[in-house]
Amino acid sequence: MTARFRRHADIRLTALEGEGVVLHLGSRSYFTVTETGLTILDAIAEPKTFDQLVDTITTEYDVDRPKATTSVRTFLDRCLESALVVELA
Amino acid sequence: MVTLIFVLRRLGWFHLHGAALIDPQGRGWLFVGDSNSGKSTTTALLATRGWQVGTDDMGFLAPSDNGIALMGALAQIALRDGGRDLLGARGGVAIMQRQKTGFWEQELGSTRAHVVVPQVIAFARIGARTGAVPSTPRIALSAMLNSSPWMLYEPAFAQEHLDVLSHLSRQSRCHDLTLGPDLFDRPDLLEELVT
Repeated sequence: MTARFRRHADIRLTALEGEGVVLHLGSRSYFTVTETGLTILDAIAEPKTFDQLVDTITTEYDVDRPKATTSVRTFLDRCLESALVVELA
Repeated sequence: MVTLIFVLRRLGWFHLHGAALIDPQGRGWLFVGDSNSGKSTTTALLATRGWQVGTDDMGFLAPSDNGIALMGALAQIALRDGGRDLLGARGGVAIMQRQKTGFWEQELGSTRAHVVVPQVIAFARIGARTGAVPSTPRIALSAMLNSSPWMLYEPAFAQEHLDVLSHLSRQSRCHDLTLGPDLFDRPDLLEELVT
């Protein structure tokens, strides 16, 4: 079964100066993410597969699929480490 | 007070620890900083120079037709002995539990501003000389998050609270402000520094 990703229930986010500010209520910490990162976090308010997220980025931005794949992978890995994103089996 | 903070959150008013005033040109100012960062003493000083006082310590933020507005808590400006001596203020009422002396803004020649729409946010600290360095909305938002512990306790209201702080940081010019004793000789310096 393909894994899906959803943003953690404890995070709140806002757009600011072309970036995103993410607040994690559980860990009482906040993060800054790029505009692309904010787009991904917005997209996974509802669970999405990795491929769906790559589709979102290639649709929203002028970027080829290999580069979008790398960006999404890197961003999701960092978000998983910081518990901003949950991986659903 | 904690009860009031939680009740007002349900009405869309979010607590902020800070001082708010309106300068003689009609601009709203918000001073954010820890205790001992000079907010109350500066509020009292500016009150003697024609600024209207919203609050010296605490208010509640909410959206308004003109942007995010702050409604100040109705309370006296509370000065420690050092601040009162610097100001040369006489009179006031002892606030025993806080070991401060309270002054109503009228005693200092000012009037109450019931609502302040901040156009300038100053992150205050005490230093040797008064100075201001421009900051960014993102840094301003981060600093206000640190001053908003209540946001963390009720997830249901956290997004609305975050949106209010984000809007506030975008509507205002933000500065890191050092408050020095020289401000007492030149109270107009603040307006010059951020203009």
